Amino acid sequence: MQHAPTADVQHAPTIDAGHETSTGIDNRKLLMWLFLASECLFFGGLIGTYLLYRNSGVAPPCPQDCVFDGVMYQGLFDIPFTSISTFVLLMSSVSMVLALAAIQRNDRRGLGIWLLATALLGVTFLAGQAFEFTAFYNEGLTLNANLFGTTFFVLTGFHGAHVSVGVLMLVSMYIVSQRNGWTKEHSLNVELLGLYWHFVDIVWIVIFTLVYLIQT
Amino acid sequence: MNVRRVRQLAGVAIAVAFAALLAGCGAFGGDQNTFNPGGDVAERQRDLFILVLIPATVILILVSAAILYIVVRFRRRSDDEMPVQVHGNMRLEIAWTIAPLILLAFIAVPTVDGIFDLGRDARDDALHVRVVAFQWDWRFEYLDPEYADADGNPMTAEELFIPVDREVGIELSSLDVIHSFWVPKLAGKLDVIPGRTNRMWFNATEAGVYPGQCAEFCGIGHAGMKFDVIAVEPAEFDAWALEQLASP
Amino acid sequence: MTGAVIEQRTPTIGEALRRIRQEAATYNGVWSWLATVDHKRIGLMYGATAFVFFLIGGVEALIIRLQLARPESSFVDADAYNRLFTMHGTTMIFLVIMPLAVAFFNLLVPLMIGARDVAFPRLNAFSYWLFLSGGLLMTASFFTGNPGGSIFDGKLGAPDGGWFGYAPLTLNQFSAGTGIDYWAFGLLILGIASMAGGFNFVVTIINMRAPGMTMFKMPLFVWMTLVTSFLIIFAMPVITVALFQLLFDRLFGGVFFSVAAGGTPLLWQHMFWLFGHPEVYILILPAMGIVSEILPTFSRKPLFGYPFIVFSGIAIAFMSWGVWAHHMYTTGLGTTANAAFGISTILIAVPTGIKIFNWLGTMWGGSIRINTPMLFALGFIAMFTIGGLTGMLHSMVPSDFQQQDTYFVVAHLHQVLIGGALFGLFGGIYYWFPKFSGKLLNEKWGQLHFWTMFIGFNVTFQPMMILGLLGMPRRISSYSDGMGWGLWNMMATAGAFLIAFSIVVFMVNVVISLRSKEKAGADPWDGRTLEWAIPSPPPAYNFAEIPQVKALDDFWHTKYVESETGVPVPVVAGGAYGDDHDSGEGLGIHLPSPSILPLIAALGPAIMAAGFIYYDNPWLLPLIPVGVVITLVGVFGWALEPATE
Ligand code: HEA
Ligand code: HEA
Ligand code: CUA
Ligand SMILES: [Cu+2]
Repeated sequence: MQHAPTADVQHAPTIDAGHETSTGIDNRKLLMWLFLASECLFFGGLIGTYLLYRNSGVAPPCPQDCVFDGVMYQGLFDIPFTSISTFVLLMSSVSMVLALAAIQRNDRRGLGIWLLATALLGVTFLAGQAFEFTAFYNEGLTLNANLFGTTFFVLTGFHGAHVSVGVLMLVSMYIVSQRNGWTKEHSLNVELLGLYWHFVDIVWIVIFTLVYLIQT
Repeated sequence: MNVRRVRQLAGVAIAVAFAALLAGCGAFGGDQNTFNPGGDVAERQRDLFILVLIPATVILILVSAAILYIVVRFRRRSDDEMPVQVHGNMRLEIAWTIAPLILLAFIAVPTVDGIFDLGRDARDDALHVRVVAFQWDWRFEYLDPEYADADGNPMTAEELFIPVDREVGIELSSLDVIHSFWVPKLAGKLDVIPGRTNRMWFNATEAGVYPGQCAEFCGIGHAGMKFDVIAVEPAEFDAWALEQLASP
Repeated sequence: MTGAVIEQRTPTIGEALRRIRQEAATYNGVWSWLATVDHKRIGLMYGATAFVFFLIGGVEALIIRLQLARPESSFVDADAYNRLFTMHGTTMIFLVIMPLAVAFFNLLVPLMIGARDVAFPRLNAFSYWLFLSGGLLMTASFFTGNPGGSIFDGKLGAPDGGWFGYAPLTLNQFSAGTGIDYWAFGLLILGIASMAGGFNFVVTIINMRAPGMTMFKMPLFVWMTLVTSFLIIFAMPVITVALFQLLFDRLFGGVFFSVAAGGTPLLWQHMFWLFGHPEVYILILPAMGIVSEILPTFSRKPLFGYPFIVFSGIAIAFMSWGVWAHHMYTTGLGTTANAAFGISTILIAVPTGIKIFNWLGTMWGGSIRINTPMLFALGFIAMFTIGGLTGMLHSMVPSDFQQQDTYFVVAHLHQVLIGGALFGLFGGIYYWFPKFSGKLLNEKWGQLHFWTMFIGFNVTFQPMMILGLLGMPRRISSYSDGMGWGLWNMMATAGAFLIAFSIVVFMVNVVISLRSKEKAGADPWDGRTLEWAIPSPPPAYNFAEIPQVKALDDFWHTKYVESETGVPVPVVAGGAYGDDHDSGEGLGIHLPSPSILPLIAALGPAIMAAGFIYYDNPWLLPLIPVGVVITLVGVFGWALEPATE
């Protein structure tokens, strides 16, 4: 009996994907799950550091109203604003689901539309982040201003980097799918990108909850 | 390969290693020999070490002996010799899971006991000293009010004077990077970490000079970051402290 | 669908690429190595590269030993000494033992599970090239000389923070120059390489097993690869975060480890050791897997208590996450924390003991043949036991206050890393050399290698236990006379040169053996696992026909059947099938096409790193975008190129 040719990252023979692995799970899907598991520790480390250092800064500005040397400093966080960008990112997960549903129906045009929509929502989120960073920067929060600045910018910055990579992949997938005439046989590619995108989304929910909403 | 040679060489190697280890236990002097303690803390630490060293040595001898015995006894004698295929034995597995556990439980008790005994705060009547470490030197501040005058507390560099048989309570602070305060004959080390105050205590049961050394790598001068603890009789110590105050 | 994309490129480039690909596919020539995606070749490249780094790390060790041989020595100055031991430790751990283990993963896992290759051949090539570029980046720091001067002024530029780089000593303030930056970026790149490998092997082992090979019919080495890969996947991100934090502090004025800003340097230690302790099991588990393959073969008995060895390996992996603070007993964590971590550390002796006892059980009642691989395996058991027991001595918190940061630690770590990991890996080299070269390593030279290394090892590192007890701190570039340390240090230095001699013997052995005309045959040791079923060296496609697995040690069972009393009886027609086909084409086997893109993609990160290290230099700053573009070109090309043609 013959084994199928070995799968490779982007180019598993998607036509017969997932057929002959020992577990029945497609290799690339397993890879994506493992990668995301590993990413949990990456973000875990960053979030852990943020929480460890929360409230131990020795200089303003702070996320919430704080007092240094008898002077009251206004908190930087603008919860309504960030809630909106959080909502935008959440919506992008919905459009990602729709993109996958479209290609599974063999609807390439639908796939294209929803991929672009997801990318657009992602870019909107990034723009919100850029706006927030600039606003904080103007209030005096720099990477080296205090512990809050360092931990906040590095944590949310790495998350933003993940979103950016996601957007890049969405746009690339849009181009490739339209040019190469993807059909429902290619839906695994979309599914994998979806896994990544949802993960990045969930990480943001965790960050939003732990960093913005719960203050101690 | 000659079995006798295996046995001999391995035997010799192990014998040499152990002779050497035992020889290390005190016989070869050395001013920082942890096997030749000059205070209660170091003594307790050495005793605990030996308490564990003994079963460890026994285990090592048993395992090595087993290897040698098996290799000799079950050596292949002819090429078509075929042993019975044994895949495992549940009872043995249970035995060699439980036996170490029991042994470890016995070791764990004095360990935990030691952690809490030695980890307690220094007594109030101890001599209180603040040790300040910086690249690459030591400063000692004698904090007790009875040794202070209007100008403050006595201070010394590179030499820590202590009275014999009195507990010394140390608080450690660093001005730059992490160092580690260590006087091998008196007590194990404790790190001196910037932004944080670590505390320990020890005593000296005999008068003498006890060399100490920074034990955490701290840059180019690390190897030379040494100091001496000088233990003197209590009366002598009080006299010395007064003299320190007199001479600014 | 994808061929179309290639054709849309300008014809000249397309043609050139195609020619290169064709040349690479012929299985010889430089291109065929640069573009290879064959797990066996990647494994060989991993092994050879790691060995070169071993020589570099070994020469560093010899300089260290020369400096310490006598008191008050000035063979090298303190600055150079600090850089040497930092690079020695980092090199040996990240550029020698880890990649050597990965070499074995690559060479063996697909063969042992009856697969044609790993799950992601190009990702595999990417891991290797990334490892190489990370290693070279880090080693290049020797030449930069900093601050001031260069290697030509006799100033080494290497990092000087020790292999665990404790902040704040590694911050700009205390370590000016670029050494630490090279170190941190090098480790970041190596970490990504390891993680890519880790993902690949988990997927390969879970998904690419031959029909019939259930998890509990896998060879033990494959199990240990799986466990190690999981450890890599979860441990590496932790140090990645720590290294990023360090770099943000160093390059962009972050304050993660700044005491003045209210931060704590202990954060680094927690992160490092949360990674670092699983790391030491990443280093030892592959060697344990190798030993678990050698012992049954040379005893002609199946592994005793196979499921127990598997589960103890898994247990060790789990427990390794709960003991990190045993490297931090003396940082003042408090009595409760120390007690908790002391006890969790002590408990690791139990699963490790289970392995040792089961190995003894494997040999018991066997028919033992002592060839070089077996000698190394036996040496492993004995020497690792010494190392493990010194580990137990360390785990006793109160007494470890005396041993921490002394030569007792240096003794412990070399006992487990050399007497353990390295002995195991050398055993593996002797055992599988014939499989991949077609030639057996010479037995006489092999025995000389083992015995000189064994004796040299004991003469070098056992005295260090005594030095530790005599109060010699580690990482000191010189010591004064009168401490009573001179004799033992002299002994250790002599031993180190005996080890160096043994390594020369090994190299001679490799050369002699490769030149010998004698062929090893497919199954020189009467092996048990699938790799011995196919010709030596294996054809590119590994198995002409994917085996149907029925039992643990399946290959052995094609050679022998057990009689009523459990004694194996040879099967007449059993054994390896040695028919040679040069390419799989005749058999209708499609192999993944060679690709140069993993190499290109792997160049990017090191170039980016160089740009970041020198970001205040306008001429070098553009290296960052250049590196980004190269990575993107590599990755996009890789994604669009067909995996098989
Ligand atoms: C391959 C790598 C490896 C391995 C496998 C181990 C294994 C162990 N290590 Fe080690 N360790 C290192 C690599 C390794 N270590 C390194 C590199 C450092 C130094 C880092 C640095 O500071 O630079 C270090 C440092 C280190 C320390 C810190 C010392 C200090 O700085 O103060 C401690 C403390 O507890 C420790 C403990 C242990 C223990 C308990 C084990 C156990 O896993 C050992 C278990 C094995 C046995 C016990 C033997 C076999 C068992 C039996 C025969 C059963 C019967 C036995 C009993 C009942 C006791 N190690
Ligand atoms: C697997 C890991 C590994 C290995 C194999 C080794 C191997 C050796 N180590 Fe290493 N060592 C570490 C890991 C390792 N070490 C670590 C992690 C540290 C801690 C670092 C730190 O504190 O930060 C350390 C620290 C360390 C120290 C303590 C330094 C100090 O604290 O001041 C010493 C001192 O003697 C030492 C010695 C040696 C010796 C003599 C060898 C020998 O076994 C080496 C033998 C090999 C050779 C000699 C190579 C052969 C070379 C030739 C044959 C020459 C041919 C050359 C050409 C052809 C170009 N090591
Ligand atoms: Cu201070 Cu080492
Ligand atoms: Cu550890």
